Amino acid sequence: MRTMTSVDFILAGLGGQGILFMTKVLAYAAVDKGYKVMGAETHGMAQRGGSVVSHLRLGEVRSTLVRKGAGDVVLALEENEAYRNIPYLQAEGQLYANAAKSTFPREAVKSYLHKRGMVYRSVPASEIAVSLGAPMSANLALLGFFSAYQSHPVSYEELKTTVERISPEPFRAVNLKVLQSGYEQAAG
Amino acid sequence: MREEIFLGNGAVALGLLEGGCQVVTSYPGTPSSEILPEVVRLMKSQDLDTYVEWSTNEKVALDNAFAAAVSGKRAACCMKQVGLNVAADSLMSAAYMGTRGGFVIISCDDPGPHSSQTEQDTRFMARMAKVPVLDPSSPEEARAMAGLALELSEAFQIPFILRPAIRVCHARQNLEWGDLKGHGPKASFERDPGRWAATPRFRFLLHRELNHKLQEISLRFETLAPYNQHNLEPGKHYGVGIIAGGIPWSVVQDILSEEERRDVPVLKLGAPYPFPQGLVDTFMNACDRVLILEETDTLIEYLLRDQNRVLGRLSGDVPSEGELVPEVIYRVMDQVLKNHGLEGLRDSQDTTAGKLVEILELPIRKPTLCPGCPHRASFFAIRKARPKAIYTSDIGCYTLGLNLGAVDTCLDMGAGITMASGFYQSFHKDGVEQPIVATIGDSTFYHSGTAGLLNAVYNDARFILVVLDNQTTAMTGMQPTPGLGIRADGSRGNAVSLERVIAGCGVNFVEVIDPYDIQGMTALMKKAVQYVQRPDGGVAAIIARHPCVIAYKDQAVLQKKQVKVTEACVECNFCHERFECPALYKDEDLGRTAVNQALCVQCGVCMQICPKGAIVEA
Repeated sequence: MRTMTSVDFILAGLGGQGILFMTKVLAYAAVDKGYKVMGAETHGMAQRGGSVVSHLRLGEVRSTLVRKGAGDVVLALEENEAYRNIPYLQAEGQLYANAAKSTFPREAVKSYLHKRGMVYRSVPASEIAVSLGAPMSANLALLGFFSAYQSHPVSYEELKTTVERISPEPFRAVNLKVLQSGYEQAAG
Repeated sequence: MREEIFLGNGAVALGLLEGGCQVVTSYPGTPSSEILPEVVRLMKSQDLDTYVEWSTNEKVALDNAFAAAVSGKRAACCMKQVGLNVAADSLMSAAYMGTRGGFVIISCDDPGPHSSQTEQDTRFMARMAKVPVLDPSSPEEARAMAGLALELSEAFQIPFILRPAIRVCHARQNLEWGDLKGHGPKASFERDPGRWAATPRFRFLLHRELNHKLQEISLRFETLAPYNQHNLEPGKHYGVGIIAGGIPWSVVQDILSEEERRDVPVLKLGAPYPFPQGLVDTFMNACDRVLILEETDTLIEYLLRDQNRVLGRLSGDVPSEGELVPEVIYRVMDQVLKNHGLEGLRDSQDTTAGKLVEILELPIRKPTLCPGCPHRASFFAIRKARPKAIYTSDIGCYTLGLNLGAVDTCLDMGAGITMASGFYQSFHKDGVEQPIVATIGDSTFYHSGTAGLLNAVYNDARFILVVLDNQTTAMTGMQPTPGLGIRADGSRGNAVSLERVIAGCGVNFVEVIDPYDIQGMTALMKKAVQYVQRPDGGVAAIIARHPCVIAYKDQAVLQKKQVKVTEACVECNFCHERFECPALYKDEDLGRTAVNQALCVQCGVCMQICPKGAIVEA
């Protein structure tokens, strides 16, 4: 990962998949660690089932948007949205997607990612969430999975603390379970 | 002090309350909608007695807040940029009259546009009205500028505009905050007809006074650091300098610091009007050429007198449409620097990623009505009963009825009705009785439906008006409407009956139906057709009333019906084209349509629409 003054995330998916909550978890975990947080969200008409993109920048930055070609990490809750947001990544950037391990990424994409030295990993986050009885929590499964590979800028333990703190009471236990399950997918 | 990650609109709300704002009014519209709810949240957290209201429209919001400011209180009204058009009449006049308490109009711009009908630039409205404008570059700055605007407005007795663009409104930033002010001057009114009720003769005097104020504020803006300031080194001359404000300034700062460029000076204009001429002259004199990066239009470019050395939209160096996202600014800066003999930027932009995405032919995700949305049922019945009509419509979720072929026009708030009467008169004049069905949402009807409806009745226009009453302002985030009588702070007001308002406009055919009953609604539409065509008929109004499935999760679908698609499905596509429910999809393995049970809300409406009767209760 580029050792610039900031770590730049793109969180992508479809309206209703919980992109904003995933952003919030990551952002609060970073704030607790002393990072400055800047981000940009999608509201309004696009939320009615459209593509939703959230920009999150941790560190000393002013612009709320990540520049295409300068992002560090894309976390995508849907396979096509993962591909759509590849242009945000810099060379050697990292792409994490909620997708089946056997089919991700498509061949045409794979050669591009290799050429640019990009890292890609996928996890069936929706399946994990459904199996734990929380179909809307694929966002946390993906986040847990990501944190198994990257403890910078925030570690799995730090994310866990944040999920525990900001989850609404009725969802706290299951949210933690989904986060952990995503994390363990990577280890397993 | 506590630390919290604020939405940009929340930062604006925080700035208003920190600045002692006692009255805040608003009409929701992306990207401004969250300001008032954030005011409510913050005031409740500290037991402040701030007066808040969702006003029926932006003009009403501006007038109400203006009166509060005339009474000596600090006041603000919040709206989106096209909302300021609705309030323009008030704004122009309020500039002449001036204010007593600080008065800030917050008008949020939408470069892109992401969720608006135009990309208009509020700073031009400020220039037209002769009102000072502040252009924040981050949530933190929006917060500071909200307070500053209240203060300067009160000091100079003139309304101020705060113009955050969408990337400030919907940005997130961590901010520290503490106690908020809950008190301020008590309301008082001093009679001064020469000001508050000025006739044209006095208006001339007020105009002169306004021009004096602007001159003084312009001088103040020359030294308004850190919002208006440059980083020229004394005695140094530069090939290219950049003048920027708002979000583009933030992007420029990031790029220059990432690239470690110290040979390109920047003049920030966070307070661009009244124009700080002296400050700009100093900057221009130190640079051969100046690149202007501003959103959304060419305010600074127009105000600069020396056009020969200016690079921007007018010279073709900066795109004239769309948002100035970082990669666009990067490209523009790189090109301009190279064109004028300086070193370009380091980071070569990779264009292959864009081409890769093109080749993949990813699905286009067009926004669509939610599963179970009552509007979908209404549109289906409308098209079924009146297939050859012109469908005039309006601003709201239901604009998405265009996916269903049931929306032909969308001009502005209220034009569902006014364009219907306009079409009617044009065809009628030629002896053609063109069927017309107008659709408008409940909130939009309260906003600006009545004047058009009165006009239609008065001039004997004939069309069917369907008011899509989902009992909320859905698109902008579920704000309450006058029809409910619930106010901005959650307290009870008085509900205003849609039926009575429509009848009060002179409409003699007013019927209410639940659109989930497609047969019933289709039959009612046919009854309305007959009424419209009768010599003694007129406008026929149908209120299609069913609560929004998002706002009223537990009440919208009372009788849940799990549905399935049987083998009778012949994949005729009818349901996809005319109904377009996200829960119905083409299952390629089965070779027919199927139901995505995770998305389905079990409203059961689709069982009424399949020509083959293939959608049945499971």
